[in-house]
Amino acid sequence: MKKVFVVCATGIATSTMVRMRVEEYLNERGIKAEISQYRVGELSADRIDADVIVSTSGMPPEFAKVVPVVNGVPFLTGIGEEAALKEIEAALSAS
Amino acid sequence: MPGIEDILSSIGDFLNGLGPTVVLPVVIIILGLILRMKWSSAIRSGITVAVGFVGIFLTVGLLGTTVSVIGEAFAKNTGTGLSVIDIGWPAASSLAFGSPIGYIIIPIGIVLNIILLFVRATKTLDVDLWNFWHIAFVGALVQFVTNNFWVALIAAIFAFVIALFLADWSAPLVEKYYGMPGISIPHLQSAGYMMLAVPFAMLLRKIPGLRNMKLNPDTTRRKFGLFGEPMILGFVIGLILGLVAGQDVGTALATAITIAAVMLLIPRMVVILMEGLTPVAVAARKFMTKRFAGREFYIGLDSAVLVGSPAVIAAGLLMVPVELLLALGLSPIGNETLPFVDLADGVFVAALLVPLVGGDLILTVILGAIVMGIGLWFATQIAPAVSQMVASSTTIDFPSGYDSFTVMSDGAVPVSYGFYYLFQTPVAVAIIVGLLVLVGLFFLKQKFPLGERLLPVLANAAGESLVDEPIGEKGSASVASKSVDPNPDSAEK
Repeated sequence: MKKVFVVCATGIATSTMVRMRVEEYLNERGIKAEISQYRVGELSADRIDADVIVSTSGMPPEFAKVVPVVNGVPFLTGIGEEAALKEIEAALSAS
Repeated sequence: MPGIEDILSSIGDFLNGLGPTVVLPVVIIILGLILRMKWSSAIRSGITVAVGFVGIFLTVGLLGTTVSVIGEAFAKNTGTGLSVIDIGWPAASSLAFGSPIGYIIIPIGIVLNIILLFVRATKTLDVDLWNFWHIAFVGALVQFVTNNFWVALIAAIFAFVIALFLADWSAPLVEKYYGMPGISIPHLQSAGYMMLAVPFAMLLRKIPGLRNMKLNPDTTRRKFGLFGEPMILGFVIGLILGLVAGQDVGTALATAITIAAVMLLIPRMVVILMEGLTPVAVAARKFMTKRFAGREFYIGLDSAVLVGSPAVIAAGLLMVPVELLLALGLSPIGNETLPFVDLADGVFVAALLVPLVGGDLILTVILGAIVMGIGLWFATQIAPAVSQMVASSTTIDFPSGYDSFTVMSDGAVPVSYGFYYLFQTPVAVAIIVGLLVLVGLFFLKQKFPLGERLLPVLANAAGESLVDEPIGEKGSASVASKSVDPNPDSAEK
């Protein structure tokens, strides 16, 4: 199963908003993936087991070297949401 | 004949009697329908929010059982007088949303924000409904002081306007430092420190030797990574507190596990609440952005969007030991607060401090120590109000015997304490001073724009580029367009 990590400062507030939208989109498309929420501080790029990271908090630069990182802020502002969803979909089908 | 005051107060008593798990879903459902949500989704949202509340209250009760055992013993055995326990933001948010002001803060906030945007007093459109609880918290504090719903409502309105003004003020800083244009941070847990932090930041910049001591955020992050995991942090702190409180090893381990459980479980319950709130927040966002199509404005968000920066993460981690040392060090001069559940959330404080000192980690931690040191004293002062909120909550079941609680996430914020203090004076004085602060801030954000004034000075002082790393990907360019897409959903159909 493909894994989507949704990341924010607490793994609670903004990541829930992102997770719900991503879940809805992937369901519509019939794409199966396991989506889980994390705090930005608890992840380490050395041992990350995700196919794509969606972060509302930005990620330290070393993560982008090992896994596609999608900016989650469009899910909060509503601007550019569609593009971000496409990016996630592309990352899931590529890996 | 009963006067209008009596009728209103009996309505208030009736609502309080029902409690937040009944009142809030009704408010959410009505709000959802006004925002054109479908009946089924509105009702689902309302019930989900209520269920989230039930979960929070259950797990907060678990916290109460443990802290009531160790709190008093800790203060006695150490002789520090640190007897006021920080119960943390998850508990405080449920107390705030469960207060009379909390019931109505979301609709009031939305209407007020629309009016202020309309008269061009602010450029921030706050779509972060969740964090309205910080505003409700100010209202709840003032209601404790004045015992008057209407005065508390005025205070909450002031606090909301201040949050918007502070967001406008710091937006250029957020844009330039974090590379996030079109966004502002009306999140009081971060923005509320600005008025205190800016003068200290300017002072710190002038001290020569400090700027040259460098600390690398990346190595710091690896060394202190443990503090970034609330469950582990809870276990370690629980174990230490249990042992210091004189428990035997077995009991102390049980305490440690309970605290670890609390640190993990309460936020999980907040996720459920957020699942209920999200569809309403999305509907509100669509509703509001549509009405200000074509206007230039900032979208107000949770400061969580800033904390991926390595300097912020590192500073947040370093704040854990710093806050504990401060609490001990300041106990002889009036601090009684033991920072506890909110220790894990120093990143929110750091988020807006980091750009003020140009991303310098040592300066950020010093600045953080100054505002949190003062914040500990603030948190101690508001303890009676928070303890009263806990005691009068019909839904949180805290055991009796221990009755001294506060919350660092909000108690330490100068804006929250400011209102608590201000409304101890006669109400008329408080309202006039409150208005003066609003006017002052309005001109401050016009005449002293932080991005333009502060950042160039900092850049010269540091002699290097300010932006440590731009946050996010190239994709963030989609947020970058300052003139907001009039109909954000058009592309999604």
